[in-house]
This record gives sequence, C-alpha cells and structure tokens, in this order.
Amino acid sequence: MKESLRIENVSKRFGSTIALDNVSIEARDGEILGLIGENGSGKSTVTSIYAGMQKADSGEMFFYGNKWNPASMNDALKQGVGMIVQENGTVPGISVAENIYLGEIGDYRRGLLVDRKSLVADAQKCLDDIGADHIRAEMICGVLDFQDRKLVEIAKVMANDPKILVVDETTTALSQKGRDIIYSIMNRMKNEGKTVIFISHDLDEIMNVCDRLTVLRDGKIIRTFEKDEFEENAIKTSMIGRELQGNYYRDDYESDVNGEVVLKAEHLCLGNQLSDFSFELHKGEILGVGGLSHCGMHTLGKVLFGALDAESGTFTVNGESVRSISDAMKKQVGYVAKDRDTESLSLDASIKDNIAIAGLDKFGVRNFLILPSRENKYVNKQVEALSIKCSGANQYVSALSGGNKQKVAFGKWLARESELLILDCPTRGVDIGVKQAMYQLMYEMRQAGKSIVLISEEMAELIGMSDRLLVMKDGRLAKELKRSRELSEADVIQYMI
Amino acid sequence: MDNEKIIRREKIKNIIFQVAPVVGLIIMFALFMILAVIKDINIPYSMKNILNQSVIVVVVATGAIFIYTLGSFDISLGANMCVSALIGAMAYNRTNSLLAMLAFCLGTAVLISSVCSILASVFNLPVFVTTIAMLSMLNAGVLMLIGANGTGDIVQVPAAAVSAINTTWFKLLVLVAYLAISIFVFNFLKLGRQEKFVGGNPECARLTGLNNSRLAILGFIMAGIGVGLGAFLTITYAPTLSRNTASSVGMDVIISIVFGGMPVSGGSRSKIYSAVVGALSMTLLSQIMLMLNLNSGISQMVKAIIFILVVYISMSDNRKNILPR
Repeated sequence: MKESLRIENVSKRFGSTIALDNVSIEARDGEILGLIGENGSGKSTVTSIYAGMQKADSGEMFFYGNKWNPASMNDALKQGVGMIVQENGTVPGISVAENIYLGEIGDYRRGLLVDRKSLVADAQKCLDDIGADHIRAEMICGVLDFQDRKLVEIAKVMANDPKILVVDETTTALSQKGRDIIYSIMNRMKNEGKTVIFISHDLDEIMNVCDRLTVLRDGKIIRTFEKDEFEENAIKTSMIGRELQGNYYRDDYESDVNGEVVLKAEHLCLGNQLSDFSFELHKGEILGVGGLSHCGMHTLGKVLFGALDAESGTFTVNGESVRSISDAMKKQVGYVAKDRDTESLSLDASIKDNIAIAGLDKFGVRNFLILPSRENKYVNKQVEALSIKCSGANQYVSALSGGNKQKVAFGKWLARESELLILDCPTRGVDIGVKQAMYQLMYEMRQAGKSIVLISEEMAELIGMSDRLLVMKDGRLAKELKRSRELSEADVIQYMI
Repeated sequence: MDNEKIIRREKIKNIIFQVAPVVGLIIMFALFMILAVIKDINIPYSMKNILNQSVIVVVVATGAIFIYTLGSFDISLGANMCVSALIGAMAYNRTNSLLAMLAFCLGTAVLISSVCSILASVFNLPVFVTTIAMLSMLNAGVLMLIGANGTGDIVQVPAAAVSAINTTWFKLLVLVAYLAISIFVFNFLKLGRQEKFVGGNPECARLTGLNNSRLAILGFIMAGIGVGLGAFLTITYAPTLSRNTASSVGMDVIISIVFGGMPVSGGSRSKIYSAVVGALSMTLLSQIMLMLNLNSGISQMVKAIIFILVVYISMSDNRKNILPR
C-alpha cells in the first residue's frame, strides 16, 4: 500500500504544556489508522495540525510524498484533507445547505443573486450520499439536535471528497445510527483506496474499525499495533503506562438496594420526548436509563432537575415536589449535563469558580458573604479528592483536558454533598483511566447511600454499573431490566429499536 | 528549555497581561509629568482638572462593570445620566435640598436602569435591545424636561448652592465610597460571584440554579446607582444642564472599561479596577494630546486605534487559551 500521510518529528507546546514531543506517524492508502490515548495525550493536536487548524512548532509533514503545510482547515480540505472535530462546528442561524457550502456560496452566485435552488439541491445530495437523508438541506441548522448538526458537518467535509479523512472522537456524540453512518463512510473511503485517521476513546470500537492502532501518551508515540496484535489489555497498558488495577465496572450482582424511595416520577409527559413515564429511584441505587439518542432520556434528565417543565405528570424528591433548578439543588439534587462544555462548565472561568458557584450557599457566611479561606478549602477538597490535574484551582477550565473538565463538572455537585445525582453521559469523551475513576466514584457514592440516575448511550456502561436499567423508546418506558450477570447488550437492544 | 523555566515564563506572561493596564496608566502619568515640566504647566491645577474630568466617568464606569460582566451592554447610560441630573436639579429647585437632589438623581437612575432590565426579562429580550429603545425614550424625555422646566435650552441650579460640595475632596469621597462598596459586592458577595459566572456561560449558570434575569436586574440596579451618583456629581461640577449634558459619557465608559483591561465578553476575568485604571488612562491620554496641541479629531482617532489594539490583544490571548490540546 502507498504511503498517503507522513508526519515527522512534529513538536508542539501550549505554554508550559508539551502537547507533542517529536511525534512521527505514517498512514497508507486504503487503511483506517486508529489513534488512541488518554485525554491530553496529543491525538487531537497532531491531527488538527495536519488538518490545518494550527501550526506545529517544529517537524515536517507530507501528503502523498509532497511537503504538506496547509494555511488553514479550509485550505487543507480543498487539497484533500478533511477533519470532523469532536465539538460542534456548525453555524446555527443559517440553513443546512449554507453550512455545507459555507465559504463556497460564491460558486452559486448568478449575477447579484444566489441560486438557492441549486445550493439546496447539491447540499441535499451530499446529505443523501452519507445516509443522512432525514435532514432537509433547507432547514435552519439551529433547529437540529447535536447529532444531526454533526451529520451536517460530516456532509460538509465529504462534499469536498477528501483523500484523507480525520474523524476526531466524533462518534462519542452520536447514537448507533449516527455511528453507523460514520462507519459506512470510513469503510467506503477505505475501499476506494483512501485513508482514514480515526480517534476514539472507545477501545472496542477502535479495535473493530481500525487496521492499525497508534497509541500516544503525554505527547509521545508509545507503540503502533498491527491488526493481529490487537489485545485489549496490552493497548490499555500502553495508553496509561501501567496496568489497570481493579475492575472496570462494579463486580457485584446482588441487589442490596433498600426500599426507601428518594425520587418518584408519575406519568410524566413532554411533547414527543416523554410519554406517560413513571418510575421510582431508591436510596443507594444506580438507576440506568438507556435508549436510542432521540428516545427522550436526555430530556428526562433535564425534567428531573427542574430545568424543563413537564406538560403533565408529577415527580417528587423525598416526597416533595420540585419546582425549579434551585429547588432541586436545595433538595440535594445535582445534574451533570451531556453537553459538558456548554451546559456543565464555564470554560473561561477557573476551576475554583466552576466548583464554588454551586456551593455559595454551602460555604458562604449567612448565604451571602464569600470568604476566600472558606472558598479555597471547599474547592481544594474536590481538586484533591478527584485528583484533578492542574497547576492550581485558579487555572482556567478551558486549559484542562476532557477528563479533567469532567472531573470539575462532577466536583461541582460532589462538593455540595448532593444526595441524588443525575448524570447524563458522564463518561462521554473521557479516556479509560478517567472512566475507571468515574465508575469507582459512582460505586463509592452508591455505597455511601447516594442515588444516581445514570443516563447513557453506552450500553456496556449501563449494564456494568446499573442496579436497574430502564430502556426508553419514543419517550416511553419500553422495559425495566434488573442487574444480572447474564444481561447482555442484545437483551437491551431488542427493547430500544 | 526546562519545564520550570517555561512555567515561570507563563506566569510572568499572565502577570504582564494583568498589570499591563496599570503599567499603561503609570506610563501615561509619567508622560504627562514630563510634558508638564517641559511646557511649564501648573501641575496641581492640571491634576485637579484631570480628577474633575475623570471622576464622573470612573463612578459611572464602576457601576457599568456590573452590566458588562454579565456579557451585556447599555447604550443608554449617558441619556439616563442626563435625565437623572435634570430631575435631580428640578428637585433641588423645588426643595432647596441637596439631599433631595441626591435622592432624585439616584432614584431616577436606578428606576430607568431597572425598567430596562425588567422589560428585557418580561419580553425575554437581550437587555441591550431594551437599552436601545430606552435611549430614544430618554432623549425625548430630556427635550420635554428642559422645555417644561427650564429656559427652553437649559435647566439650572444656582452655582452657590453646590459650591460647598464642588470640591476635590468631596468627589474623591463619593468615588472611594462607591468603589469600596462595588469591590466588596463584586468580590465578596454572592451577587458579584454569580454575575461573573452568568457572564461566562449563561446556560451553565441557569443549570447551576442561578436566576439570570434576577441577576441582570440587580446588575442594572448597581449600574443605576453609579449613574445616579454620576448625575449628582455632574450637577455639582456644572450646574447648568442642557440636552448635551453627559452626551459622551456612554462612549467614554465603554472605552475606559476596555482601556482598563476588562474583557469585552464579560465573565470571570472582569475586574472593578478596570473602570478606575481605564478612565484615568483615558483622561490622561486626552490631556497629553491636548498638551501636544493635537486637535480633538486626531485625539479621537488615537483613542479609537488604541481601543481596537487593546481588544485585539486581549482576544488573541483568549484565543490561545482555547486551542485544542
């Protein structure tokens, strides 16, 4: 196979952080190369440099044997390298078609006017080609959900027919349907003799999809595995530099949850997201809620936290109804949102600001006066307990890796000593080391008598961690499953679809 | 280069970014002193003049920090101040009481500010939209008030009535008291911390139980107090009020805040001292350009260029922080 991409001794620093240290990677025609590593290992940095998003401090890059130095992402895309990024990259206030042809609208200019008919038709063809024909090109992008906006981005990249495609942790935000679309694009490119660089934290997924796998750690290449060398434990050990101690998920299967009901929802209805939905959550229970992306589970999380009002139905926490978010917080309920960077954290604020803001009533004198000594004590306790990797509590959250950001989002509610936590996709976009720590933390909280509603799109996580699992379909409860050694993903999927 | 050196360099860079506005102020002051010596200008008189010019902008800008921190914007500050000063002056003319004048200045300014934020809350609009509507209404209000209560062009308070408080010490006292209260509220009360967080990410703030509308109203009330004090000080400094009173205050406040190192997007990097440092720097800059015999057109252009440069530098630092890792 012919070499398509070569990166030689590329280094990059962000201030005091060495993001890449003499990294060299090569990829070939007709292969899917996986990049894996913990948060902050340098995967996104090296690919974003190749895709023109930023410049390297040193090193050389090649594209089919020629020197490669794109001026921008757009320049790289025009020359044959496309990248689908982890976070949202669409403009909400314009149409899907305009998003797909952003920067190329001039090609559709007819005199003083834009030929919208051709623009929409071409955009729709791009969407149809990638299997996203349920999205209409004339729609305003802002009305689409996260997954569909992501599919619009994919259509935008594929419209340029790239020779090398970088998929950066995109699948973590997608449901199975969205993932299938990406897998099909990746396989099509591979069969056409093109190259795909695939970044994911999902080890099973990356082992399934990729032909080779390169592991990065602390900005350095650790090892490249050929397909016949793929072995889960060996890859994990390369990633984190040590063997994972203990179990990934909890290993007890006996239900010792007591009968005390802490949350009771009855006949909740909200549009087509919740339909006559009822359940109970007990003290010291992890209640999993799973389903396809549009099944209503994310809406359920927001309703239970008082962030969305149900049209009908009631829910109570310890026998009292919840009227608002602040009311939920007074009742010791906490909520970690799925969309971490926009809903759970203020990125341009410090770790201290983010953790302290939810607890001003806890450490403030008479609930209004903030004393720095009390605040520092309150925040530092979480920074230490959660082992947040940072230069100090005053470090801005935007400079943290994904896993450490998620720890801050957790810390905000743990510091309040929340008794009931609603966790919406809590391990989305975090590496296995942090994932294991999160699972351990959830289990410890359960053992301490706290209750957790675990909303997740990862079936293994739901099966591995939940005492009970509610499977949702079209806003309804499709099935309630009890924790069991025999429970498999196939058992759950049949009720989801 | 070893890691420790890099960390030290980063820390130094951060400190430089934080102290740059203060260093700018010191440089301006040094330049002013050099020019004053060269041109044989009466320094105490000039200093008093600078203080008189800047104190009103500092007071209003200090209050405005509470609005800008929220990531919001108020274009009607100057018009609010003009209306408040007119009503304060009319109150004095009816009662001969300076206390009544102060109370009416404060009450009017707080009321106008509150109405802006309450309307925004009721109609679920960005607050700056209601401040634009308020600007038109206030401009019309100024004309009506002057027409009905003055000579047709002006409203006057007898200069003798305010001469006792038209002193540098009184102005400094008002400024220091308001600054101290604002710094306390901003840094040590729940309100200030919540305002900063809302400015950083309103949706995250809402999902952390913060009532963004209520905080906006409280922020605008704090700004209203600054505007009311500014109106009161305006009457004491220039007791003849016209439709042009405080006409440049809105723009002066924005430029001062940015000069002082306040991020244009608000949020947790907001600082009260930005108002003080910025307003003093701006007044000194104007004074220096005056001493260099540059006309006011060039002076405005220089301010505009510095404004854009400061915003560009502060945003480029921010851009670097959010690069992917």
